[in-house]
Amino acid sequence: MPAEEMGKITSRTRLIFAVLSVVFLVVLAISPFKDFRREWKQYKRSYLRFAQTRPDTKKLLADYRPDIDQIWLPGMNVVDRCTTCHQGITQASLSEKVLPQPFRAHPPIPHNVRDWGCTVCHRGQGPATEVAEAHESTLAWEQPILPIRFIQASCGTCHYADLPQTPQLTRGRELLGELNCQGCHRLPGIERPAMLGPDLTNIGTKVSREWIYKWLKEPRTIVDKDGNVAVNGYETEEEPRMPKFRLTESELRGLSGYLSVQKARAVAPYKIDARVVTAWSKNPELISQGELRFRQMFCSTCHSLAVTRAGETKLIGGDIGPELTKVGSKVNPDWLVTWLRDPQGYLPHTKMPRYGWSDEDLHKVTQYITTKLTDSDLLTGIPQLGQPTEQEIQLGHRLFLEKGCASCHLIDGLNPQKDFGPDLSTIGGKNASDLEFGAARIPHNLVAYIQAKLQDPTSVNPAARMPQYNWNQSDLDAITTALLSMKGPPATSALQNLVVPRKEVAFHPTGSFGEVYERYKCYTCHKFNGYGGDLAPDLTFEGSRAQRQWLVDFLKNPQTLRPTLVLRMPQFNMSDRDAATLADYMTMVLQHPAANPTAVDAKQFTPAMVALGKQLYEVKYQCQSCHTIGGSGGYVGPNLNNAGSWLTPAWVEAWLRNPQALIPDTIEPRRNFTEDEVRALTAYLMTLRQGIKPPKTASAAASRTAAHGVGR
Amino acid sequence: MRLHTWMSALLLMTIAGVSGCRKHGEVPKSDPLLAAYDTEADWTDAQHIIPLSYQQAQGKRIFYQQCVWCHADATPAGPSNRSNLTPVPPLLNDGATLNAESDEYIQNIITLGGTAMGKSAMMPPYGRMLSAEEVRSVIAFTRAIAQPQYQPPARAGSQYSAK
Repeated sequence: MPAEEMGKITSRTRLIFAVLSVVFLVVLAISPFKDFRREWKQYKRSYLRFAQTRPDTKKLLADYRPDIDQIWLPGMNVVDRCTTCHQGITQASLSEKVLPQPFRAHPPIPHNVRDWGCTVCHRGQGPATEVAEAHESTLAWEQPILPIRFIQASCGTCHYADLPQTPQLTRGRELLGELNCQGCHRLPGIERPAMLGPDLTNIGTKVSREWIYKWLKEPRTIVDKDGNVAVNGYETEEEPRMPKFRLTESELRGLSGYLSVQKARAVAPYKIDARVVTAWSKNPELISQGELRFRQMFCSTCHSLAVTRAGETKLIGGDIGPELTKVGSKVNPDWLVTWLRDPQGYLPHTKMPRYGWSDEDLHKVTQYITTKLTDSDLLTGIPQLGQPTEQEIQLGHRLFLEKGCASCHLIDGLNPQKDFGPDLSTIGGKNASDLEFGAARIPHNLVAYIQAKLQDPTSVNPAARMPQYNWNQSDLDAITTALLSMKGPPATSALQNLVVPRKEVAFHPTGSFGEVYERYKCYTCHKFNGYGGDLAPDLTFEGSRAQRQWLVDFLKNPQTLRPTLVLRMPQFNMSDRDAATLADYMTMVLQHPAANPTAVDAKQFTPAMVALGKQLYEVKYQCQSCHTIGGSGGYVGPNLNNAGSWLTPAWVEAWLRNPQALIPDTIEPRRNFTEDEVRALTAYLMTLRQGIKPPKTASAAASRTAAHGVGR
Repeated sequence: MRLHTWMSALLLMTIAGVSGCRKHGEVPKSDPLLAAYDTEADWTDAQHIIPLSYQQAQGKRIFYQQCVWCHADATPAGPSNRSNLTPVPPLLNDGATLNAESDEYIQNIITLGGTAMGKSAMMPPYGRMLSAEEVRSVIAFTRAIAQPQYQPPARAGSQYSAK
């Protein structure tokens, strides 16, 4: 540019200046326009329009403000602006599912949104004001919204005890326990039982090397060419507790060799009386008698057998002990006799009770098991392995520790590595950047990671030591929920006060009761003060409920009270002394404070009270809809035919006043009986004894015929 | 020529500025995996899966604890107690019977029992066992699984919808 033209305003500069000004004005105008068009402001305005279409506009707009709404709870570290868009969240009239989001009301839950905020349960970014940033993870903000099907995980973050409203979470926690995840991982709230997998100190005396080889290769689960999952060759959905490890041929040989020489704690073999064996040797009924005894003792309460009916194979029986369909081909017969006689001598922590066997019964049952519960094809395709070499044993020993076998299985003298798998106590709160996704083609978020890892551990890490499990979708989701709930202790004191710890105190009394209790392993099926199994009734207050003589008779000869039950108490062949010890302890100790035995005297019951009670039972309250007396009635509640010799009057009275006070989760609804009615009903029930049938009334007979006429 | 360059540069700036207004982020994809608990298979057609709201799912839980024994044909423990009762109680999904009853009526008969409502004494009262909220959730579940489908009364405004 020449010097003389400097500072001169030419028409060309004017033009440039004018155009530039216009452009800058336009650009400037964009900014307020953008602000006006902000996502949350649009939702604000559309809520206004939406509220106009509702009949209760005034109520809906009562606390409407055009600004950002925020729930700020400093005690809980919550700054939630969700209500800026989700404006109808507390409006009961907006609860219909057809209404558009984000204006729908939150479904009724025990927590108030104003006290808790939203992100405490739903996760996501509370302070964000854009839909995408609030709900999804971004590079800056990593916590995405928790998919609604895992929402129960949030309940479990604070409520360590099981809630009735969270079945999925409870199932997930159960699975974590059942599948022995706590063998390798640290999992808060999941208890580590005394024995995870069987003690293998003496496994060489129990099974052959070939059987171990097969088991390690395919732990019960066999997937056929059509993709059907089978257990021991039978189709079922049962997941074996032993997962499948990906082992090579040499690893299989090494581990099976190492385990087959584990015979450290020799068990003295028990010899059945030779006279018994000779007496039965020619009897063709030996096996069928053995089977009968097997059934009579209710082994099926804990063990299942595969039964084929009409072309369909099913496992029948319980799952506390192992399935026994082919056990005769698995175990050494000498070991079997010794085991049945004294299981706790071989495995101190076993759940199997010690039965009072006669030599005759023992012989019959073992012969039945070793001849009938067999499969000649069990070890088909397994190579003859012979005696293991020294190298194989060395390799097996090393693998046993490296593969994590020692985390669940005990071998005397072997020290397992502590904390074998990663600590999972805070897995549920991990950010995506803390996780290693490897080459897996999955969305990079926590939920996808957990599910991929559970389904195939090698998908995210090819070198994973974690074994392979077979999940169905609902179990996979349940276990994901339980893992997502593990976010560690709540960050703030406000929440810490609300944490409900899981309560479970081991119940192992001493003395003569304790000895009998441990021998029969009562706690495998029954609960005492919250400790024990849940297959059979809770016995915490059994001494208040049942009469002593009834307890003795029942223990000597357990018969079922509820005819619909399939799994029943086994026949222990209990001695008089053992039965009396158990009954005495229960009557003295297992008492409920609400059932005061001295307050009720059965002698005060008059015939008039009995007659009134019968009237109330049959006509006014129609208890026969759920209970059976004399062959007629429902079978929701227990059969009351023998109530007079079974239940104590004090228990019956307390029960009628408030069943939930005695057993909190019973389904019998609490009624509003008067004291006279309680007394009369108790008087009537106390007259009911087995063998003495109450006279059949016309109405009872009529109702039966009618029921049969209308029903199927 | 130079003006042209200036103008194009400004135009580009403007476009860049305006393009910031575009909504970023994509619509979240619906989750492909199934909801495990918050559904109920239609009793008359197992292929038809009915999604449940939170309240309806709570009702389902209570139903399978308390009511299933007499108001369904199959129960978790095996055969139903329904055929033992006279009169035979309605199935919970029996829309032909229950759709005609108002929410208030069903709330009353669950809370106060059959006798109080002039029906069979075999229906016990649950008022001292279930809270009003729990009873309402059972009604919500009833409405959700009703066959034929439940249509809430147009004016009075039921809290529960079939969908």
